[in-house]
Amino acid sequence: MHFAYPSRKSSNPPPFRPRQSRIPIPTLRKGRLKSIAVIATIIIGSFWIISKLFDSRDAPLFRRPSGNPPVVLVTVLDERKHGMGHSQSIRENREQYAKRHGYETMFVHAGDYELEETAGSWARTPAMRHALTNFPECRYVWFLDQDAYIMEPAKSLEERLLEPDLLGKIMRRDISVVPNSIIKTFSHLKGGDIELVLTQDFEGLSTGSLVVRNGEWAKFFLETWFDPLYRSYKFRKAEEHALEHMVQWHPTILSKLAVVPQRTINSYIKGNEEEGFQEGDFVVRAAGCGREGAPSCEEQLSKYRATWQQAFSQA
Amino acid sequence: MPLSRSPSPIPGGGWPSHDLDHPDHSTKDNRTSPASRWSPASNSPGFVPWESAAIRKTEGKGYPSFSTQNRSFFQKHMRRISSSLPRFNHNRHTPHFGKEKPGRGPWSVLYKLPMVGRIRAGWSRRSRRTRSFLFFLFIILASLYIFYHSPMAYHWRRSASFGGGEKFVIVLGANVEGGVMEWKGAREWAIERDSIRNKKRYVARWGYDLEIVDMRTKKRYAHEWRQSWEKVDHIRKTLRKYPKAEWVWWLDLNTLVMEPSYSLQTHIFDNLADKVYRDINEYNPLNLTHPFTEAYLDSEARSPVGDGKEESINLLLTQDCMGLNLGSFFVRRSAWSDRLLDMWWDPVAYEQKHMQWNRKEQDALEQMYSSQPWIRQHTAFLPQRMINSFPPGACGESGDDPRFHYQREDRDFVINTAGCEVGRDCWGEIYHYRELSYYLNRSLWERFKEDLVAVIWFKLTGKKVKL
Repeated sequence: MHFAYPSRKSSNPPPFRPRQSRIPIPTLRKGRLKSIAVIATIIIGSFWIISKLFDSRDAPLFRRPSGNPPVVLVTVLDERKHGMGHSQSIRENREQYAKRHGYETMFVHAGDYELEETAGSWARTPAMRHALTNFPECRYVWFLDQDAYIMEPAKSLEERLLEPDLLGKIMRRDISVVPNSIIKTFSHLKGGDIELVLTQDFEGLSTGSLVVRNGEWAKFFLETWFDPLYRSYKFRKAEEHALEHMVQWHPTILSKLAVVPQRTINSYIKGNEEEGFQEGDFVVRAAGCGREGAPSCEEQLSKYRATWQQAFSQA
Repeated sequence: MPLSRSPSPIPGGGWPSHDLDHPDHSTKDNRTSPASRWSPASNSPGFVPWESAAIRKTEGKGYPSFSTQNRSFFQKHMRRISSSLPRFNHNRHTPHFGKEKPGRGPWSVLYKLPMVGRIRAGWSRRSRRTRSFLFFLFIILASLYIFYHSPMAYHWRRSASFGGGEKFVIVLGANVEGGVMEWKGAREWAIERDSIRNKKRYVARWGYDLEIVDMRTKKRYAHEWRQSWEKVDHIRKTLRKYPKAEWVWWLDLNTLVMEPSYSLQTHIFDNLADKVYRDINEYNPLNLTHPFTEAYLDSEARSPVGDGKEESINLLLTQDCMGLNLGSFFVRRSAWSDRLLDMWWDPVAYEQKHMQWNRKEQDALEQMYSSQPWIRQHTAFLPQRMINSFPPGACGESGDDPRFHYQREDRDFVINTAGCEVGRDCWGEIYHYRELSYYLNRSLWERFKEDLVAVIWFKLTGKKVKL
């Protein structure tokens, strides 16, 4: 094993030099140098602290709602189409549930908003926006269509769905957001990121039962959804297809969206295991009732009416 | 002599000399770098630079030939300092080995200058008070230089705690249609060169960043549904590329910063709330109904000024005689801007409107502004001439409308020769304003020469001179 040549030594070592101070400038003696260093540190430190004090970059821009009421239940009623009796029972159902958990209800009528000859189902979008206006301190707005009953009063909506940990557990990740779409729900989202919770039925996203969290995003989302160009486009299923379009084209919406198993908030009166109502489900909906050729909502829901009334009086 | 390994560079530079059997290294020297040759660390036995020999000669004996007492710092250490400095050997073949002759050192020239001697003598004659006064004067002048004129000024102005320049990024849309739809001629190249140089100088002065983006028609935008909508994508990319940027300033290629001495901070952002108007009724060429009156909206959405706070301004633009103008506008980094940039291009809106939307992003933004309360609440307008003055020919032939048109007396900040590609002379206008900007921003010395000396000369001799 060879090593490199050792460095050559000089046989004439350099002579000793007279001692000199290490500090080159004679007026800067050691003691002075110390105090200068201390003063400089203080000055620079105070500069830094002042610059941090006046730095407003992290100031929160938007306040958080206080959560009074925690949830507003919004329903669009159409007495002329579905009859007074039906509307009355829906009203009672919502009000009783809201009373039990300290929520508020908001009922609007189908003709309350100017929809410019577009489908009446669009009314839900301004209705939810209206709820944000009327209850600026609410934490969530839950839109539940008039073809649905709340069946189980015991647990609050937060306990069933909205607690961030719970939501993180039940939300469906990495599934096609609309059947057969290449756009899938994000897999990295946590329960706390979510601003919009809804379900998917066999046809696509369902807008019969959905929850929006109050905040800047909610206003943006609802106002965009109600865009006149979306309404004038004549989507076949009106606001439902507009929503499907939005979540597939706009990541700012998809990244706030949670799709939860359908029976959490949106069981249908008939359907397979995943969507059909079973004993103990939270909500039952007669989706599509009252359309031309279909039996009326009151008729379809009649057998559930006694059940929920009983459940509410017992609990 | 055989070597145990191949030669490799030594740390000080150059190559180790491997012909050890030649005792005289100064005659056969394979080194390539003069630095190692003259380095004082070099301690090979046959190689004695004259200064270390001189030290040995004077100090080793213990009889220094001159006094070491009562000498100033420079007198004491000049020798050591000067000997450690690198130098260039002008006369390689006759190195000054051996005895040092007085007055031969490289610094001796300095002592011979009468001026330096006089200054040194003068300095030592001053009283202590005068000296400290001069010392502080020097410190003040030095800091003035460091803060305002040295290359450090750029870094002060960039840093978030001093100037905050890194919070601003200018995005310049260059290479418009470059070579795809039509050939770029000499004039187009000249416009591009001038415009880019103008912005480069401006950002270098204030410590901003400049992102020059390629607006060439690309295949991905050449689809019928998405022609030249790159602005949005470029702004998004820029926000990602400069994570410290707070405001992105979009500038079209046909713009010039006329007053490079205005910083964005003092011109606009230091008291933004006083400079903008949020109620579009103040000037409303599109005749939009403002504010919204729908009952389902909250009071903030129905208010003409949103929440009225400075912090809620996320989009800052101007209106010309036709409506919103996107030749020069600001976007702030925020969740709101993400939403805006995301919604700006929507296929459903585009499919219905693209035949009418011949101003593309501008029309789409107008559409959103007119129908979406969330857009209006975070948009503010600047008076057009603050960032976007027009030349005559845009918005009226005469060019005297103080709302749109460049006013020389007011020293407007930016000129935008909007629409010059339609029947006007882009290069002529850019050239005109470039020269005007130089003229208006002449230094004191230039003014003295041109406004006084040249004028007097003209009066005396009748000849125009260029100084």
